Amino acid sequence: MADIQKRLSELAAAVDNPKERLEYYLGQGKKVVGCFPAYTPEELVHASGMIPMGLWGAQTEWKEVKRYLPAFACPIMQSNLELGLRGAYKGLSAVIIPTLCDTFRCVSQDWRFAVEDIPMIPVTHPQNNANEGSTDFLVSEYESVLNKLSVITGMRMTDAALEETIEIYNEHSRLMQEFAQTANDHLDVITPAIRHIVMKSAQFYEKAEHSEIMKDIIEELKNMPKHNFTGKKVILSGITAEPTEILDILAEYKIAVVGDDLVQESHQYRVLIPEKGGSAVRRLALQWKNRKGCSLVHEDFKSRGEMLVELAKANEAAGAVYCQMKFCDPEEYDYPICARTLRAAGIQVLQLDIDQQKGSFEQARTRIQTFAEML
Amino acid sequence: MYTLGIDIGSTSSDAVVMRDGRDIIAASVVSLGAGTIGPQLAYEKVLKEAKITAEDIGGAVATGYGRKTCDYAAKDLSELTCHAKGIHFLIPTARTVIDIGGQDAKVLQIGAQGQLMNFAMNDKCAAGTGRFLEVMAKVLNVKIEDMGSLSMKAKEPVSISNTCTVFAESEVISQLSSKKDIADIAAGIHRSVAKRVAGMAMRVGKQPDVAMSGGVALNAGIVKALEEELNTSILVHPYCQLAGAIGAAMAAWEDIREEGKG
Repeated sequence: MADIQKRLSELAAAVDNPKERLEYYLGQGKKVVGCFPAYTPEELVHASGMIPMGLWGAQTEWKEVKRYLPAFACPIMQSNLELGLRGAYKGLSAVIIPTLCDTFRCVSQDWRFAVEDIPMIPVTHPQNNANEGSTDFLVSEYESVLNKLSVITGMRMTDAALEETIEIYNEHSRLMQEFAQTANDHLDVITPAIRHIVMKSAQFYEKAEHSEIMKDIIEELKNMPKHNFTGKKVILSGITAEPTEILDILAEYKIAVVGDDLVQESHQYRVLIPEKGGSAVRRLALQWKNRKGCSLVHEDFKSRGEMLVELAKANEAAGAVYCQMKFCDPEEYDYPICARTLRAAGIQVLQLDIDQQKGSFEQARTRIQTFAEML
Repeated sequence: MYTLGIDIGSTSSDAVVMRDGRDIIAASVVSLGAGTIGPQLAYEKVLKEAKITAEDIGGAVATGYGRKTCDYAAKDLSELTCHAKGIHFLIPTARTVIDIGGQDAKVLQIGAQGQLMNFAMNDKCAAGTGRFLEVMAKVLNVKIEDMGSLSMKAKEPVSISNTCTVFAESEVISQLSSKKDIADIAAGIHRSVAKRVAGMAMRVGKQPDVAMSGGVALNAGIVKALEEELNTSILVHPYCQLAGAIGAAMAAWEDIREEGKG
């Protein structure tokens, strides 16, 4: 128990202070590249000998960013650009910004002009990933990213390096999947907030390093007697479920998180890079082709609702909390479909506004308490 | 056995004493909410009216915005759960409940047993809430309780924004400057609230019968505007303002029965 707490504290410290992780890697003489959400090809950064570090916003006051974005823009993008403008990301060799929604597209251009000391590398995913030419297109996008990364490193990433990185990333994803399952037997230790910290923390570590920590945590959990959780179980869906105060309110009302469909969390780990399919870069592009059930991926017939029902049933969840990122159009569009499918399957749904900023949580508390009373 | 329910809202404190979860013995409404002496006054008043003492109360449940601050309540429940329970007690046929509170507006979908099935709440915004009405009444220099009767005299209700209290206030001042009839402005304000709340009702799914709870339900102008907006009649019980406290008192009784004491 002492060891697992030590490991969990390490991860919590990384999540609380990512800057320290940045300084740590810079101190080792490594270059670090910031990766905006979501589905950023961080494997290309890793295989180029650099450290990819996730940039998923923060609880920070927006001042400078108001010159570039209206108040009704994505909170993650507001925070990322604000921190960039304030110089908080000093030390990063570049940032990679995918263009998965309208705000991302604006921010990529805002960054180019507003944060001149940190180069911006755009990457465009073919959102209709079922389209025949989508993989070829993404390979060309990844090649373009590699060209820009090579300017930073002064050398071209090799196929062999990417093969090795893919092994590391796939192993890490398997471990994160295993953690998610193992955690459900220990809901006394893995509270909603701790589960979130573990899932998020990987963004601030070199993946092989994070895998070693995860192996310890999983082993420790497996050595502990299973906990008989008597509260209510839910799954989370959305972009993120932050800040942790929201998750603490879930715990306060004896609600455990037994699965997630969060882009910031399980989406990162649920689709492995295929073993076959051509060159390493092409295999990486094929991972995108296998993604579905996400508001950022086009599907003619949305499968997310059915996937959520499956996730809830597999983990005996009575409810689903749809963490609605504020001002996020893609997520707003998906909500009615998901809610209808979940309710038809007898699973209660709570739509909870997420704006990532600290402040009063009384409205969230009322919603969560009501939901707990409904379950 | 007597149980007590107290609904500590942001603008008022309502208390109810019930016997055996069936009969309302006494009720009190004090126009002071959380963080004031309102909750204590409502508590003392309801005990006095019921002619009982604190020792006679078998169980108490608190609800509302200030539900966490009530030290004599055995537990607290969300106001949505309590309003659902309370309205089911008052109007058993109600399946959709609209509750416009001081700080937030809610639409509840309830089942045949009074259980809460689904709900929608306004976001961190005063538009469409009781606070919005208060602000507007102040601008019109009209008592909040007179807004309903005033708006019923409207001939041509004006159009007022339903998205922002601050902008709406400017609009009302502008309408006053244009010498628009005050009754038409009051009706426009009610329509503005109704449009906002009707949007939530449509989201939750409007199922008959539709009822209103909370103090704002006593405003006939709002009820009329909502009926027009939702194209349905709305049931309002004379005890609508007490629905939350009634639900809380009933929950206290249910707990006692579950423990086998009732």
